[in-house]
Amino acid sequence: MTPVHFSFTSAFILGLMGLAFHRTHLLSALLCLEGMMLSLFIALSLWALQMEAIGYSVAPMLLLAFSACEASAGLALLVATARTHGTDRLQSLNLLQC
Amino acid sequence: MNPYVLTILLSSLGLGTILTFASSHWLLAWMGLEINTLAIIPIMAQQSHPRAIEATTKYFLTQATAAAMILFASTTNAWLVGEWEIHQLSHPLATTTVMLALALKLGLAPVHFWLPEVLQGLELTTGLILSTWQKLAPFALMIQVAPTINSSLLIAMGLLSTLVGGWGGLNQTQLRKILAYSSIAHLGWMVLILQYAPSLTLLSLFLYIIMTSSAFLTLKTNNSLTINTLATSWTKSPTLAALTALVLLSLGGLPPLSGFMPKWLILQELTKQGLPLSATLAAMTALLSLYFYLRLCYAMTLTIYPNTLTATAPWRLNFTLITLPLSIITILALGLLPLTPAVTTLLTL
Amino acid sequence: MLKILIPTLMLFPTIWFSPAKWLWTTSIAQSLVIALASLSWLKWSSETGWSSSNLYLATDPLSTPLLVLTCWLLPLMVLASQNHISPEPLNRQRTYISLLVSLQMFLILAFGATEIIMFYIMFEATLLPTLIIITRWGNQTERLNAGTYFLFYTLAGSLPLLVALLLLQNDSGTLSMFTLQYTQPMHLLTWGNKLWWAACLLAFLVKMPVYGVHLWLPKAHVEAPIAGSMILAAVLLKLGGYGMMRMMVMLDPLTKELAYPFIVLALWGIIMTGSICLRQTDLKSLIAYSSVGHMGLVAGGILIQTPWGFTGAIILMIAHGLASSALFCLANTSYERTHSRTMLLARGMQMILPLMTTWWFVASLANLALPPLPNLMGELMIITSMFNWSHWTLLLTGLGTLITASYSLYLFLMTQRGPLPSHIIALEPTHTREHLLITLHLIPIILLILKPELMWGWCF
Repeated sequence: MTPVHFSFTSAFILGLMGLAFHRTHLLSALLCLEGMMLSLFIALSLWALQMEAIGYSVAPMLLLAFSACEASAGLALLVATARTHGTDRLQSLNLLQC
Repeated sequence: MNPYVLTILLSSLGLGTILTFASSHWLLAWMGLEINTLAIIPIMAQQSHPRAIEATTKYFLTQATAAAMILFASTTNAWLVGEWEIHQLSHPLATTTVMLALALKLGLAPVHFWLPEVLQGLELTTGLILSTWQKLAPFALMIQVAPTINSSLLIAMGLLSTLVGGWGGLNQTQLRKILAYSSIAHLGWMVLILQYAPSLTLLSLFLYIIMTSSAFLTLKTNNSLTINTLATSWTKSPTLAALTALVLLSLGGLPPLSGFMPKWLILQELTKQGLPLSATLAAMTALLSLYFYLRLCYAMTLTIYPNTLTATAPWRLNFTLITLPLSIITILALGLLPLTPAVTTLLTL
Repeated sequence: MLKILIPTLMLFPTIWFSPAKWLWTTSIAQSLVIALASLSWLKWSSETGWSSSNLYLATDPLSTPLLVLTCWLLPLMVLASQNHISPEPLNRQRTYISLLVSLQMFLILAFGATEIIMFYIMFEATLLPTLIIITRWGNQTERLNAGTYFLFYTLAGSLPLLVALLLLQNDSGTLSMFTLQYTQPMHLLTWGNKLWWAACLLAFLVKMPVYGVHLWLPKAHVEAPIAGSMILAAVLLKLGGYGMMRMMVMLDPLTKELAYPFIVLALWGIIMTGSICLRQTDLKSLIAYSSVGHMGLVAGGILIQTPWGFTGAIILMIAHGLASSALFCLANTSYERTHSRTMLLARGMQMILPLMTTWWFVASLANLALPPLPNLMGELMIITSMFNWSHWTLLLTGLGTLITASYSLYLFLMTQRGPLPSHIIALEPTHTREHLLITLHLIPIILLILKPELMWGWCF
């Protein structure tokens, strides 16, 4: 495991841990998701750089585009949640529990 | 919703799944999954009441996490092995992560908690899409990566799913939650056999889709969301009420109905692979699910409720549009068992 | 086989397209014609033991009596239900008769199947119509509970059987009854094999039911409408015995040591259920428990694995099927008049319905195995083969016979004799339909004395 591999893996896992265990605000969950995507962006671009694979140099851009779409969808949901629930705290998303 | 927008959303929903089917590269598969998720989110949130929004948010969070985990696992694989092909996911760390991510995407047992809640917040048609069409793309990926996954992980997940799906549905009164738990249990059966006979996984996925579509369309026709309203459904359409009991028991897997076919073949394959204990456990956990299907049958068909119901009578709207698909799919959900040899021949081709 | 199956299938159009006025008449007539045609199975000409019309359906001396019993029961069930179903809406009457017919079809396929897996599927398929009959047309609220018990007891017993059958198929490569008896006896030594043996028999022991797993049966009998009780007592329980006889061929080397606890349990069940019968207040529950006792004797006879045991078991199954079905019909005639199953409330019926009392008398005697009747032949053969196995079983079987006689007497005295309570003097007179129904039950029992080799099974 190279240092680069270790660093993006730990960044991703940190993001995942934050998403999974720090459940207070929807915004923080979205930020964690974004962090995960960015660590993947770094991983993909460094992989293309390291392997000198020219064909893959577009892959990080595709990833970035999709993660931007995803982030915007998440922010739209944040707005919708704020309008319907009045808050973005994840604790308040409890209408559907058994 | 504006019909043009709806068209775009539905077509990109189809596009995402088909992109995942067709891809051999992990990035493309991931993109398909993302398109799929992004396309269904506006459909889910179109009624902007709090429950729909909440369900959409939960769905979005789980799906985005699962997709990110899939891409992470494939990137790890690329770093360690240098391969981006879906078939050549070989590193054990990567395969396990992919399996967990796909399980999260589908709602398999250890990571199933979002499914009942999300389905509960949705309208029935969207729920139907969620529990049928949305399963296809993850399953396409899962079947492709299955040969390299640790088999005890698959079996443990499958058994746990059948158990949780049966157990969780026992004390539900909301029909959509019951259907969600039934989905978990069926997915457990599919995962159980994934490594030994992928064609059987496909067969049981198709049969599950047929049976659950029949159940969802029936609920849509009756406009009923709880067991209470189900009890009055025989006054609206007695024939449908009588057949729905059979469809539910078919979901439970009782023999003369087609729901028994996947269970039978899966048990056969499991015993052939020398796993009679897992086969017996899976068969016994199916009884748990059968219990709540049976309770639905009792409420719907086998008793006639007194007139003083606690639920208000739903509007009697005519759903002429879905009568034909409903009848076709109900016939399929009931009568496929005698065709077992033909179906198995078709699937092994 | 098809000459019975296709007319049975054609009963569905008869039921759904005949005019309302003729619904019951036509369905009874057609099913009676089918029953008479099915008697031709009894004419036996095959040398090999099997008389097959195709690869998947065949009859042999073991299944033939049960097949004929099944066909015979359908017109009787329709006849028995006519009174309490005909006030219902027309479509429900048609659905009800269709369910009975579908049950008969599944049963014919189950008894006629030559592939064990097909037998299994049809064995399970009979659950569905029976469940609907019990829970949809039963009378009290407890019927839902009874349906759940019925379904889950049977399924919990039979799902291990499915796995065991699939294992057998992997081992021997076939599940056909034609060839299975010629396969090599397996070397079954490990614990897994012992579990496999138990799984093979458990489903049938639950279905019989043997004492200990019998709780579903009294519930189902008490809550079911009359047709459900009849078919349950007469044929569905016999699926268990039939399946056990079929499986016994394959289980051979292990049975010798493993069958002891089950035999003991079955014999002990005779005493226990007989004692329960002695203090029973509920008419249908009493008959149901007496079924459990008789089936315990059948289970013992099968597990002992001697020709006499097998012959006795099949004879007792047929005779008990007819006799207990007759008793349920009689209980139903009393229930339709007094609307109560409690024996204390309907006493002294001899004063008002004397001919019914005659039927009660004959049916009770058949149930307690009075000498010329085939019940006695079956019980004697089983008791003899048990005695041959171990002398001490005579204590249990003899005591069981004594208790059977006493509760049959109790049943008869309680319902028919004694002073007439003042609240039931205004009863409806008996119908010819009911007399016909009981006669059609009792005639075969009496006639079978004359030619018992029809139901001797393999020893014929």
